[in-house]
Amino acid sequence: MIDDKSGIQWNSEDPRVQRLGTFFADFHPLQQPEEWVTYEVFHQRRRGEQHVHVGSVHAPDPELALVFAKEQFARRQHCSSLWVVPSSQIHISGYENEDMFSTTPDKTYREASGYRLRHKISSYKQAQLHESDR
Amino acid sequence: MYGGGYVFSDPEHQIPPDDPEKLAEFEARIDRGEKIEPQDWMPYEYRRQLIRLIEQHAHSEIMGALPEGAWITRAPGFKRKLALIAKVQDEVGHAQLLYSAAETLGKSRADMVNDLLSGKSKYSNVFNYPAKTWADVAVIGFLIDAAAIVNQVANSKGSYGPYCRALERICYEESFHLKQGYDAFVALATGTKSQRAMLQDAVNRWYRPIIHFFGPPDQESKHSKQLMRWKVKMASNDDMRNQFLDSYVPKVLELDITFPDPELRKDPQTGRWQFGDPDWAEFYRVINGDGPCNAERLAVRRLAEAQGRWIRQAIMNPQQSVTIPFA
Amino acid sequence: MNPTVELITKMADDALIIGHRHSEWTGLGPILEEDIAMASMAQDKIGHALALYTLLQEHFAGPDPDTMAFSRKPADFRCCHLVEHPNGDYDFTLMRHFLFDHAEWLRYQMLRQSSFAPMAHFANRISGELKYHILHANTLLQRLARGSEESHARLQAALNDAFPLAMGIFEPGPYEQELAGTGVFAGEEILKNRWFLEVEHRLLSWGFQVPALSDAPAGWGGRKGYHTEFLQPLLDEMAAVIRSQPEASW
Ligand SMILES: [Fe+2]
Ligand SMILES: [Fe+2]
Repeated sequence: MIDDKSGIQWNSEDPRVQRLGTFFADFHPLQQPEEWVTYEVFHQRRRGEQHVHVGSVHAPDPELALVFAKEQFARRQHCSSLWVVPSSQIHISGYENEDMFSTTPDKTYREASGYRLRHKISSYKQAQLHESDR
Repeated sequence: MYGGGYVFSDPEHQIPPDDPEKLAEFEARIDRGEKIEPQDWMPYEYRRQLIRLIEQHAHSEIMGALPEGAWITRAPGFKRKLALIAKVQDEVGHAQLLYSAAETLGKSRADMVNDLLSGKSKYSNVFNYPAKTWADVAVIGFLIDAAAIVNQVANSKGSYGPYCRALERICYEESFHLKQGYDAFVALATGTKSQRAMLQDAVNRWYRPIIHFFGPPDQESKHSKQLMRWKVKMASNDDMRNQFLDSYVPKVLELDITFPDPELRKDPQTGRWQFGDPDWAEFYRVINGDGPCNAERLAVRRLAEAQGRWIRQAIMNPQQSVTIPFA
Repeated sequence: MNPTVELITKMADDALIIGHRHSEWTGLGPILEEDIAMASMAQDKIGHALALYTLLQEHFAGPDPDTMAFSRKPADFRCCHLVEHPNGDYDFTLMRHFLFDHAEWLRYQMLRQSSFAPMAHFANRISGELKYHILHANTLLQRLARGSEESHARLQAALNDAFPLAMGIFEPGPYEQELAGTGVFAGEEILKNRWFLEVEHRLLSWGFQVPALSDAPAGWGGRKGYHTEFLQPLLDEMAAVIRSQPEASW
């Protein structure tokens, strides 16, 4: 193959490369939009399960993003469905507000575990037992 | 796959001073074992070194596809042919995942690719050596991928969320790489005389690059202490190299394949492996561009990018501004 | 030769050679995501070849698949000329992939009803993979057709080159009547007409000029063992390691 700059003959160790013909010794920088835009990928393993964020792909539009996401994110794992969403369309709650999510201990009234009845019932039963003993 | 010995750059002279309060909060988070996410505040130097690290890792994956890729059309038999395509495909996939992780820190993939193609960015030295025979494919798949696993498992416990998540998936796939590489290695080692000779020859040629793989011996510097504290650098080069030698030297010797280094032995007292002088000057020569395949690797990447340009450009939207993944 | 053996052999050879050609792009593709997609399709095709050679081995006492792929002479191959041609630029690769995979998709759709049960079973099993192959080809080609002047011109040129060669996919074999009569496969002529309906309207809607469907035997010969000058070197390269030590196992 021929070096595009010096015209010198090169031999690649890779026969596949050798067939491609020209050897690019020169550097031609990529323009930014050439790498397209990013789409976030959500993967559903099986019907009935949640879609889970697994990464992102570069693509010019959603259809091609789906075509690419299929092989990058579902070539090994079982998959029932994929979603892609433009990264620019994701809205994020900032980590600086992470403390908003912590609840104080006295919010147990809205948890099932906040309602403990067994001991009440047992002490009632115990009291009943005493009564009948008398 | 990826090597250690990444080139962390020296701290720049004009690092903008970090807000001490935010810095303390950031370091406390890391001390608690929590991950840092892209939207978090982070020290200037943390961001800069991470971009560098993840980017070099990504470059190494895409460059790593080349030496083995050279044998895709010659792989002997269906099983090897399919496994090698799948393995090289995974390496391309790793590059994709890692570039995405680096992008979350604010550098676009186009910028990173440009820095690779211009020669500004580094990648693992090990891919600047040629794969001369089929046995090289076996040695790479077994020993280089094994070394890469040691490195990547360590890094997966680092502090930056997107990098750790990418590495989790990568390490899962690397275990397939290692298995198929070991399988090909054992097939040659237990094969005909000339298959064994071919394998021994490949091991001889790859021994030094493998020792170089984890980078030069650790120097205690204030700089690397900080990167360790921030969980950017996760283990010392020497520790990782030792761990690798511990696990894999016996597996090679068991097959009556030897290493071309009479000084290679484990010190029973210290538990550390000793080896002959691996010529660190060569390591620096190669990383600075003067290895047996540096020119070819760069030229091939440029060729691949140049060949794909008409496709990328035909369906790009010039008005669209660059976006980066959010996680 | 047994008619079914003849049918399976040419299908397997097509899949092997085009898969091999696809794999030449692995690590060198136009963008990372596309590189990965093409590498998957290469594996699918080579996997199909393996499965088909295995059918020959299991049901017709054929040689083992590695022997079929790595040890036969070019004249024993029954692949069509379309798959033999070198990749050239990605334009030819894509156009060939489009033309070939629409034929594959339809062929296997027909074979889902084959009276040769193992083939019907196989056709059902791989239908999802083939669906992806045509989705990939359609999605990418549609965009590139409307992309830039350059991409449109490149693909038109690739179409002009690949279309006559694609006729070779449908070159009738020696047992068309037996295969149709026994319900194994309805035949190349029917397949060709269905294929043309599928590809023509797509290509026209993307603004391409579609060459006429010709009965002229351009691109024929492969099914009879006459090949282009590209097959021999491809096979030599593919078997380079295996032939270096024929008795060894790898
Ligand atoms: Fe990797
Ligand atoms: Fe790997």
